[in-house]
Amino acid sequence: MHIPDGFLDAKTAVTTGVLAVAGLGLALRRVRQTLPPQQVPLLGLAAAFIFAAQMLNFPVGVGVSGHLLGGALAAALLGPAAAVIAMSAVLVLQCLLFSDGGVTALGANLFNMALAAPVAAWLVYRSLARVLDRRLAVALAAWLSTLTAALLCAGELAWSGRVGWQLVFPALGGVHALIGIGEALITALILGAIVAARPELLETSVATPRRDVLGLGLLLSLGLVLFIAPFACPWPDGLEKVAAQLGFEQHGSTLLKSPLADYAVPGLKWEGLGTIVSGVIGTLAVFALAWAVVRMMKVRGKM
Amino acid sequence: MAVENLRYRYADGSEALRGISFVVEPGERVALIGPNGAGKSTLLLHLNGLLPERPAELSAVQICGALVMPENFSKVRKNVGLLFQDPDDQLFCPTVFEDVAFGPRQLGVEGDALNAKVAAALAQVGLAGYENRLPHHLSRGEKRRVCLAGVLVCEPAVLALDEPTTDLDPRGRRELKLLLRRLPAAQLIATHDLELVVENCTRAILLDRGTVIAEGPPTALLADEQLMLAHGLERPHILQHLQHQHRHD
Amino acid sequence: MKPDFIDRYSRLASPVHQLAAGPKLLAGLALVLLVALWPGAPWRLLGAVAALLLALALLSRIPPRFLLRRLLIAGPFALGVAVLAVLQPGGLQIFIVMLAKSTLCLAAMILLTATTPFTDLLAALRRARVPGVFVTTLALLYRYLFVLADETLRMRRARMSRSFMPARAHHWRSLATVAGQLFLRAHDRAGRIFAAMSARGWEER
Repeated sequence: MHIPDGFLDAKTAVTTGVLAVAGLGLALRRVRQTLPPQQVPLLGLAAAFIFAAQMLNFPVGVGVSGHLLGGALAAALLGPAAAVIAMSAVLVLQCLLFSDGGVTALGANLFNMALAAPVAAWLVYRSLARVLDRRLAVALAAWLSTLTAALLCAGELAWSGRVGWQLVFPALGGVHALIGIGEALITALILGAIVAARPELLETSVATPRRDVLGLGLLLSLGLVLFIAPFACPWPDGLEKVAAQLGFEQHGSTLLKSPLADYAVPGLKWEGLGTIVSGVIGTLAVFALAWAVVRMMKVRGKM
Repeated sequence: MAVENLRYRYADGSEALRGISFVVEPGERVALIGPNGAGKSTLLLHLNGLLPERPAELSAVQICGALVMPENFSKVRKNVGLLFQDPDDQLFCPTVFEDVAFGPRQLGVEGDALNAKVAAALAQVGLAGYENRLPHHLSRGEKRRVCLAGVLVCEPAVLALDEPTTDLDPRGRRELKLLLRRLPAAQLIATHDLELVVENCTRAILLDRGTVIAEGPPTALLADEQLMLAHGLERPHILQHLQHQHRHD
Repeated sequence: MKPDFIDRYSRLASPVHQLAAGPKLLAGLALVLLVALWPGAPWRLLGAVAALLLALALLSRIPPRFLLRRLLIAGPFALGVAVLAVLQPGGLQIFIVMLAKSTLCLAAMILLTATTPFTDLLAALRRARVPGVFVTTLALLYRYLFVLADETLRMRRARMSRSFMPARAHHWRSLATVAGQLFLRAHDRAGRIFAAMSARGWEER
């Protein structure tokens, strides 16, 4: 999923660059505040681990093999902030040393694979690990994070005007829904092997405070709104629908009537832009609400 | 350096060190021998205060008059040079120069003074001009010597060496032994290499299951076949050669 | 993994190698940005850049075979997307421009990394005020990449020498065990590295 140079246009490169830098900055700040000093070398070693694990090929079908992407595994092992840093280091090294993934696409690649994938995986894993078996939780997280990264990538390519969205969404989404199954299986097996050998290693990472993911989660949803929402209608629906509903005129077939009905802000002419702006406003509103609820619950808990 | 009644328990409750006491005088070269799991490596880590879980017990170790405890860490760590078992653990910087420069940099040395110090330390271990080499291009013997340079560059009063001769080829081993004999610092060497003990050390301490079993001149201690076998060691062949030589003399 | 497959020629003494890492990095990035983000199909610009890169490649004295081989390794992903581009109406031109741009950028980056030791790039990043924790992470990643890759190969070989049935389910499980072991070893090594750093006076700043 490494996008090369020349596949993205300037606006997409800049937008994803800003998102990636913001995410990495947030993660670094979190880590500096919360990571005990003896864990600093672990960031580099975990990155080297992910890199080496990506070299292990597993058989998928006749003559086809896949390899680990590692976003969900990193998140489950290290927690969201450290996972973002380790995955970012891997991608920066792949770009600068192995010329794998373009320099102008580094922002996009970082955002998709080092930020969105581990953060999405973490959100799923953390909420499911309490009710489900840990391996099942991480498998679902891995599948979903692979698909998320692929759809973001598709959105960015479409946004850049290089490939039509009705072509790139089903293609990338379909392929990665399959690749995601392999990722899910291998991630679950690896996590299972680690838990079996050293169960105590995973206790610390699950206890990450909610604040850690708030900023990162916000960035993730911003990306989803920017790169996927304009093309998916109604959002967030399945890929089959995307493939079926060609054309922009069906935009905003509403699921629920909200103040931002039909995802269009009055006064904005261009439909795509209107969708994006309303999506951003919607995301911010949802997050403000969630934050307020969390704060209220905390206050009540103290009394 | 003085160790008095040092005890240590791992987080899982097993006892690693059960009341160890000994003294190393300036310029002495003392061998620490004993079977795997005797507590040799754990003991060396204590010299630097690197097992932080039990701060109260660390004060059982004194280096150059300073107790090993958090307030004294910077002084103690400057005085004790620790050579780790696996050179890949110790050689953590991307170039040889960066790695040797790591210690002095923490002490605020920069610029030409730093370059000179690094060059001198590398020359001392026979690797002059290796500054720009990459660790993953070096042989294990070279890696180990770079590690030693990184330790020597801080001019420690005490050297604590963990298995310094493992996976060296015979020539590398011979060179290392010569190098260690030339160094003025007091040395505490944890090793299975009994030839090294006989050739290099002034004294040997036998450690097993976290306690000191015996202590004495290497030739006498290692010649005690019963004692050696009882603690997972053996009488080194080199002693026979030495004794033959004595007879011929 | 052959330890020098990536920076085999990064320490030659050609004029291109001797440029300072910082300015070279900046110039390389500027070139890539220009090529990749210039809208439309600026054929003259692309031609000029191609000529410049060719001249630099000759000056650098790196065997052309090495550069070409690295240039020709295109990822399946890039190929897939390029094929998608051809499928749409008027896509052939988009496809050719995309391919030309990405090949030139790739060539520029390969030339940059092949003539600059990675450690110099790290130093340039540090001077550019990239946060210390991140540069340290990159440096450790670069240093231990080779150690861990070797460990992986050794563990796989050891497993393969004892397994006689290439059943698929077994393969997956053994792969996961290798990866799990690899993580545990990396985790423990991180602890020992911290000890080694502390022993030489490292304090978190």
